[in-house]
Amino acid sequence: MLNSNRINRGGGRSLTVQRNALESNEVIAKKNKAIFGRTLVINFLSSPGSGKTSLLESIIPVLKSEGFKSAVIEGDVETDLDKKRIDNLDIPAYQIITNGTCHLDAKMVNGSLGNLDIKDADVIFIENVGNLVCPTSFNLGEDMKVVVLSITEGDDKPLKYPAAFYKSKVMVINKIDLLPVLDSDISKIKENALSINKDLMIFETSCKKKQDGGVDNKGIEDLVSFIKEKVKLKADEFRKIGGNMYF
Amino acid sequence: MHEFSIALEIVDTLDENGYLDGVNKVNSVKLGIGKYSGIDKNYLGFAFQNLNDERFKDVLLEFIPNDSDEIKIEEIMVD
Repeated sequence: MLNSNRINRGGGRSLTVQRNALESNEVIAKKNKAIFGRTLVINFLSSPGSGKTSLLESIIPVLKSEGFKSAVIEGDVETDLDKKRIDNLDIPAYQIITNGTCHLDAKMVNGSLGNLDIKDADVIFIENVGNLVCPTSFNLGEDMKVVVLSITEGDDKPLKYPAAFYKSKVMVINKIDLLPVLDSDISKIKENALSINKDLMIFETSCKKKQDGGVDNKGIEDLVSFIKEKVKLKADEFRKIGGNMYF
Repeated sequence: MHEFSIALEIVDTLDENGYLDGVNKVNSVKLGIGKYSGIDKNYLGFAFQNLNDERFKDVLLEFIPNDSDEIKIEEIMVD
């Protein structure tokens, strides 16, 4: 109940609250986490155009070839273009169209789960709306946030959008194939990001499509190894406590 | 502008926990705002003014900065 209730000189009552402002989102995020169970859930954050969907197109086939099952929840303001690309990978995928809203929240993700076959999934990737600010505020029930930064965005972005880098466990520096033609300083990107979050794990990747239809992946194997390790850790943790970790 | 969603979340949290029972007007909301919370204080004020909730129409927001990534409702003043 209410912690205090005192009359002020102006005549109004002052009520001490002391609660998380996003409490109602947190309640649904906790329900999502319970539904996810043993499955690792990764929430991808980035600016528009950093290459989130391309990364998924590179990561998921490698995971698939090694027996790991993936599912994807796509967030987009207006279209299902990214979901159509993921459909080509022949895995369960669901598109959330936010109709102008600049982020996904726990309720949106909860609403998608009845429409997505996740019971056999080892990992669920949530591709958030492209935006380095708004999606950082909302817990979706994920195990980790991964921030993707393409080298074309400049080395100052971690300093300009610190929340995304502070709240993420991993930063993926993408499009490194463009380094030879840009003035980007990749060491400065890392230095700035680590000044916000010293525990940030960093991967460097590119997933450039070749003219023959193939993909010139760089750094994807390291990222996939990391994801596989986290999938196993989550499943082990879940097994140890008898599948009741979040209830 | 996710501040509109944050404003709605704040109202929900207050409503669901009984803080707005019998309240005609919320005069002020004191919020703890982490520097990594990703909140624009001016937009949050704008969002409250445009919630279409008469109780919050003239609300004043007071911010207590901290080093976290949280947004916490510390105190409200109501009529």
